[in-house]
Amino acid sequence: MSVSEYPVRRNPQKLIGAVVLIVVIVVAAYGVVTFWRPRFVVYTYSSFMDWGDEGAEAVLERAFAPFEEEYGIDIDFVILSGDANFIVSKLNAEEANPIADVVIGIDNILVLQETARNVLEPYVSPNLGLINETLVDSLDPEHYLTPFDFGLVTLVYSMNKINTTTHPELANLTFADLAIHELASALVTEDPHFSSPGLSFLLSQIAIYEKILHEDWTSWWDTVEDDIDVEEGWSDAWSLWSTDPTKQFLVSYGTDPAYSANYLGTAPDTSIAPLFYENKHWAWMQIEGIGLVKNGPNPNLGKAFIDYCLNVAVQQEIALNQWMFPVRYDITLPEVYDYAIHPDEMSILNTLFNSTEIASNLQDWLQQYDAVMIPG
Amino acid sequence: MAPRNKGTYIALATPLVVLTVLLVYPVVSVIFRGLTAGAGMTFTDTVIFNWPYLEFTIFQAILSTIMSLLVGLPGAMLLARLKFKGKNIVRALIITPFVLPPIVVVIGFLQMFGQYGVIDSFLMWALRSGSSVLNLATDIPGIILAHTFYNVPLVILLVSASMERMNPEIEEAAEILGADSLQRFQRITLPHIMPSLIAATILTFLFCFMSFPIVLAFGHGSYRTIEVQIWNAFRWADYGQASSLVLIQILFTLTLALAYSRLARSSDGARGPTSSIKTSSLSSYRPTEVIMIILYFAAMLILVVGPIASIFRAAFFDPIAQRYTLDGFRYIFSGEAGGGLRPLINSLFYSSLATLLSVGLGIPLAYAHGSKTRFLRPLSSIMVLLPLGISSITVAYGLMTAIAVPTGLNINPWPIIVLAQTVIGLPFTTRSIEISRRSIDPLLIEQADALGASRLQRLFFVELPLLAPGILVGAVFAFAMAIGEMSATLFIALPQNFTLAVAIYDNLGVRKFVEAGASALILMVACIVAFLAMEKVSEESVGGILKW
Repeated sequence: MSVSEYPVRRNPQKLIGAVVLIVVIVVAAYGVVTFWRPRFVVYTYSSFMDWGDEGAEAVLERAFAPFEEEYGIDIDFVILSGDANFIVSKLNAEEANPIADVVIGIDNILVLQETARNVLEPYVSPNLGLINETLVDSLDPEHYLTPFDFGLVTLVYSMNKINTTTHPELANLTFADLAIHELASALVTEDPHFSSPGLSFLLSQIAIYEKILHEDWTSWWDTVEDDIDVEEGWSDAWSLWSTDPTKQFLVSYGTDPAYSANYLGTAPDTSIAPLFYENKHWAWMQIEGIGLVKNGPNPNLGKAFIDYCLNVAVQQEIALNQWMFPVRYDITLPEVYDYAIHPDEMSILNTLFNSTEIASNLQDWLQQYDAVMIPG
Repeated sequence: MAPRNKGTYIALATPLVVLTVLLVYPVVSVIFRGLTAGAGMTFTDTVIFNWPYLEFTIFQAILSTIMSLLVGLPGAMLLARLKFKGKNIVRALIITPFVLPPIVVVIGFLQMFGQYGVIDSFLMWALRSGSSVLNLATDIPGIILAHTFYNVPLVILLVSASMERMNPEIEEAAEILGADSLQRFQRITLPHIMPSLIAATILTFLFCFMSFPIVLAFGHGSYRTIEVQIWNAFRWADYGQASSLVLIQILFTLTLALAYSRLARSSDGARGPTSSIKTSSLSSYRPTEVIMIILYFAAMLILVVGPIASIFRAAFFDPIAQRYTLDGFRYIFSGEAGGGLRPLINSLFYSSLATLLSVGLGIPLAYAHGSKTRFLRPLSSIMVLLPLGISSITVAYGLMTAIAVPTGLNINPWPIIVLAQTVIGLPFTTRSIEISRRSIDPLLIEQADALGASRLQRLFFVELPLLAPGILVGAVFAFAMAIGEMSATLFIALPQNFTLAVAIYDNLGVRKFVEAGASALILMVACIVAFLAMEKVSEESVGGILKW
């Protein structure tokens, strides 16, 4: 046996060192690339300004480029998966060391929650004069939030599947109609815990039962529990509604027919079935706000950003990309908005509650809702 | 091997310190903070409010366990007793479901048992029905069937391994003394396999108790387990409730885990491949028995092979448009925003890092586990078992709150995802390395010492090559667990950090079925390829990793 069959094993220190070095370099490089720390962080939800022809990236770039130039910064829109509730939760979790400066998407229900106020800093924008005063007051008289856009939450239906000829009750819809198996099993809504239209719908139903009908609101949910489809979020619900031929109703926004008309380039195939009580049509008004994050890294920049969001450059993008109404009253709405329902045509369900009523009952209502909706 | 000097001590203690920082501290701190900070529900309110969900958690876990045992036990007996060609291949393949990511299994189940799935389509054709006839991939049937799919391999492998070691002479003696087959089963087989049966029961219950992606996908938000409620409570910023639920869950799982480890230790002495059971070929069975065996195989084919094979259909068949399409693969290779390329790259990057970390931590942990030092051994066994008893959502919740926020990592939390994936896969990695380590002949090490090898040389040229199969098996498990991990990643990730597993769930939500299907296929192929490579290299059957 020759000696060469026993190669001398070198001490592996160099090899280990090299391997460690390469791993460290790769990880560090990835870290540097992805951690290139942005100077200004805006938290928002996943579909923000993402419903136009161009997509969110192009729209946000166009709307906010002047702001970035003026202050010499890059805005990092951090898209949080899920709805505004999750943003509030995240801000709470990060309370000790906030990284976000501004948050967009907390609405007039969520802001009533202690958890939301806990992470926001009140700010009175000098630009408030540009917007409708009632919006400011309906959203938050204490100015934890500044109105950004608003919309009406209502029931929409697909005209290809159902119409007022086959179902005359659509013109003047009530919850009693919706409780009938045929319609209830065609209804898709969203989980009120995780979706603001879902929560708006729950509060609409509670408002009508408690304030107009003076009945126990849980009875309706009890009746429809096995029939209706509660999806986690609006996107999930919309996908189900638009692809499943048995699902004709969706809890969504009053601008959906406008969206449909814009998308099809013809008359819309989506229509509104507003709730009808006391000879009036009712809808829930959702107002979405921008808030300054408490103890955020750049408070002054945050305030400037909020002011900037009320500029025409931003507000004019809302109608066709967010499918909500801009809060500035001097913005001309696109023609397709003729198909949408407008706030002045509807009685607003929110007015049936005073704000303390919602704030003090919301957790209980949600727990009661959970108790009713437990299967079996 | 007793640690001989400071360097060894440091090497062995490092993973313990790392796990203390990344697991014990975060979990303890979120429980403590959530319960004392006063935000959200109190502990008592949590228990009252969540009682129905707690009941459902236990109910579905018991039902799933019973189903897994009922389906697995005949399989275990057949695997032990039946002589047939390709038995080793079957034994190797049987563990496949266990390495498949839960969300991939969900896709397979939807395609096999769901609306317009394989079975439904067949029934629609057979009954000449225009609409869906049977949907088993939803609600309770979906949850239970998927849990059964997952845990049947566990039952089969654990029980058949124990059965194979049964001394055939005892059975022969009983037969001569006139015991019929039922009596033999009751008096001889059952007592013999009892420890392994209990072990399989506890493990199955534990996995079903903490299951998340399956319950989330099939429960549609209506059927919720404690794990789902922790995630919900966190998203609703109810930290009091989230932390109370974490505490309840941990009390449950740690009790089970302790019972299990005690059981494993007490039955340790009786083990050893001293004898092997008598096997017989199919022809020696009576015709009715043969028919039952064939029926069993057919059922297994539908339950276990069916969903796996269906993933191929899911990748190409669009149930909404009712046509075959390549859109799923177009999605995977689309680098645009919302395309699948980014999640694919993230998946590969995170799981590779997690694999490296797991192996780096697993080797010293396996050594610490075998150490004779007073504190090191029990401490390391507890540390290794901990991630099994602490749910993925809890790990993620702890890491996010206790590590990511103070360090500012939450702006781009990919390192936290890697850490969570590492922690979650670590028990499996450590276990497989430890199995290898135990079989190293200590004489070889002494010889290396005597011949003057330095500690590093000894480690690299003697021990590691001997450990290599174990390390490889451990690495593959770490990789499979990491790339398929959905729960913790979903909790932590911003959209830019989505992995394929999370993207599947996301796409499923908005009914982009082929996109989800194609992603599931990619994940499944990645897991199976890694797994086959491992089977090829490793001499022993990989099933040992399931025996803790």
